[in-house]
Amino acid sequence: MPDEKIALMAHLLRRAGYGASRDEIEARVAQGYDSVVEELLNPGDDPGIDEDLMYRAYPSYFDKAAIETGQTEWVYRMINNKYQLKEKMALFWHTILCAGDNKVDNARTTAIQIDKFRDMGMGNFKDMLMMLSTDPAMLYYLDNIESHKTAVNENYGRELLELFSIGVGMDNEFNYTEDDVKACARAFTGWNLAPTIPVFPYGRTPFEFRFDPADHDYGEKTFLGETGNWDGGDIVDIICKQPATARFVARKLYDFFVADEPPVPSWRLSAPRDLAAIQALEKAYFDSGYEITAMLRVLFHSDFFKDESVRFAKVKSPADVVIGTMRMVGDHTEPKPGLFFVAMEPKYMGLDLMNPPTVEGWHMGREWINSGSLIDRINFASSMLGNTDLPGVKKIVDRLMGLGDVPTSEQFLNGCLDLVGPLDLAEETRSQLTEHLDAGGALKHGTESERNDFTKRTGEALKMIATTSEFQFG
Amino acid sequence: MASVFLGINDRTFTYSFTAGRSEFQGTGFRNPMDFALGPDDLVYVVNRSYESRSDGTRINLFRIGEGKEEYITEFGSYGDQPGQFIWPMAIALDKDTNVYVTDEWTHRITIFNKDGEYQRHWGIHGSGDGELDRPAGITISKDETVYVVDSRNNRVQMFSLDGKHLGQFGSAGEGEGEFNLPWGICLDKEGNVFVADWRNDRVQSFTSDGKWLATFGRPGTGGDCSIAREQGGMAYVDVPVGQFNRPTGVCVDDDGDIYIADWLNNRVQVLTSEGRFITEFNGDAALSALGIDKIKSNPDMIRQRNGVRDFTPEKVLWAPCAVRVDRRGRVMIADTSRHRFQVYQKNGEPVLV
Repeated sequence: MPDEKIALMAHLLRRAGYGASRDEIEARVAQGYDSVVEELLNPGDDPGIDEDLMYRAYPSYFDKAAIETGQTEWVYRMINNKYQLKEKMALFWHTILCAGDNKVDNARTTAIQIDKFRDMGMGNFKDMLMMLSTDPAMLYYLDNIESHKTAVNENYGRELLELFSIGVGMDNEFNYTEDDVKACARAFTGWNLAPTIPVFPYGRTPFEFRFDPADHDYGEKTFLGETGNWDGGDIVDIICKQPATARFVARKLYDFFVADEPPVPSWRLSAPRDLAAIQALEKAYFDSGYEITAMLRVLFHSDFFKDESVRFAKVKSPADVVIGTMRMVGDHTEPKPGLFFVAMEPKYMGLDLMNPPTVEGWHMGREWINSGSLIDRINFASSMLGNTDLPGVKKIVDRLMGLGDVPTSEQFLNGCLDLVGPLDLAEETRSQLTEHLDAGGALKHGTESERNDFTKRTGEALKMIATTSEFQFG
Repeated sequence: MASVFLGINDRTFTYSFTAGRSEFQGTGFRNPMDFALGPDDLVYVVNRSYESRSDGTRINLFRIGEGKEEYITEFGSYGDQPGQFIWPMAIALDKDTNVYVTDEWTHRITIFNKDGEYQRHWGIHGSGDGELDRPAGITISKDETVYVVDSRNNRVQMFSLDGKHLGQFGSAGEGEGEFNLPWGICLDKEGNVFVADWRNDRVQSFTSDGKWLATFGRPGTGGDCSIAREQGGMAYVDVPVGQFNRPTGVCVDDDGDIYIADWLNNRVQVLTSEGRFITEFNGDAALSALGIDKIKSNPDMIRQRNGVRDFTPEKVLWAPCAVRVDRRGRVMIADTSRHRFQVYQKNGEPVLV
């Protein structure tokens, strides 16, 4: 049986970040769970990486001429940011407040939105919605630039309610009406972009928000039962005080960090899988004045998060597969060539960062898995874990050698599973792997030749573990 | 041009022109990291580009002048084979116009002839005498000594043209003569060596054999004029001077004035040989000749530009990596993240700006 403190800490670091090496997990256990949670919730103001070294090696990250450059920079930050929860929250908000560079076509503008998610992700939800409503990528992506006083485009106003804050319904009731959508859209007329310097001849310039008072509808509006000359800021105020908004944020956090919930459009008819948990998060939302950190504090300290039944019960997102593997094997911990190819892996597995398929974002959970993505997930993880030249794999080999002069196949397999999880396998899978190890002979590491063989067999064992169905869960 | 005069009013600079445009091949640049001034207004440019567009990684040769930008050729490519580079950083020419290019990833110096034909390379990864760990800046003296900034070894090493180790100076640290990941390097007309001490946010100067002479600047980004004021000047506006945020490139003109590419402050600062602040360039870019060609062939761009009221984001310098002054007093700045050069003229007589 794995050490419970190790298992719980590994669970926290997988969910509130992209996992950690065993050395870090052990250090965090020594630090104490509560202290670690507070550290995660209170990151420093610095970027969490040596940005100067990153830009020196990758000067193209300044201007981000192509979306691939923005994606690569983000992957570098995910792997290396010492404030892991900030990176996880950046992805969390990106999966909800969706804008895609396939339409925006200005990678730096899109990347700036991600930067804001990273910086504000644990802040106040009202601030987040205000930022979103003035964010150039979003205003472009959802056509608010085409929404005028005399010809309202409802796209942003509708999605703000349906997918970004309230949701269509809860407890079998609708949360808003078509008239609310229209009023919401009218309130955001004139929230537009300044004319942008074109890409030729010196590269792209990011979009900038500009409020056009001449194009704003100053008329009276009735929104969610309140009447006044509302503008966008008023709309955000009214949204944030709705019980449905608390429900929305709570279910989204639960879905991302604890266990899968169905997609938002079905929430009117489908109750939360753990209503008590959602209500605890809703209470934190209102008690704190819409602070996300307060909700996360409740979540990470809760029994429903710590419960063994939720560990390894979520299908890893492509980001969890790729970044989690990179952090486990200790590669690309400083700038070096080859990062681009790693950074494209999430896309091959279905998560094209900064390019959500629709404004609804990605269908997550078990929908991450299909016949194509599964092969990519397995091939990537097994190729990395099987590379015994990588520093994280070397450390795993060293620890396994510490199991004894000649560990049994079962001891060796348990050691491998412990160090990549701690992970458990179905009995049949475990038996097959043990039989395979038995067939290879004794796992000695006394001589140089034996050590080389031990190392090679460790790589093989890790590769096989990466192909198990259990490894697909985090 | 943003200028701050602090008692040094016998020098004026005027914005002259902008050269180049963003291109992965041929008639433009992609993240120009450094450049070398050849004969007849020829400029050899190191283009870094990035991994997913490694076709943009190359050296290209231009003739640059006001209103005329002539593309000559390009050579070298992305890779680790002879004649290739992964992270090209800096460039220098010897008296025969052979081209020396440093590569921070392969830890070697690659030499081409003036027409871009690969000749040879040298450099072994390591920390021993003559070994290199992330070679960055490079310059060649009149006596054919090659000075290479051996960045991760925090030193400058001297070599013969064929790579024979001649000497070295510097070590890791913050004191006089010590470095923290240095980057650019240049020589003044007396042969003194100036090094952009990148992570110490300063420039240091040395004799040709490495004896420390002076340190210029300190870390900073914001609103502190104390150094300038201490030196007897008067600031008309409250801008930080004499402070650097990761200086990359450095050069010294024949008057002894020092030009420093102040990378993360998005500017170039000019100091006297004693370190007194003269002025700074923040960027005044207009359309280059090549840029105008590009726009004219894309009517959508013309329409889009006509709607823009504020071109400030396009004018300013963005993470400039290198600066050089030619014999005619033209201050050329590699505006790295805008893929172009901004050129200022150092005037012989004061000019009303």
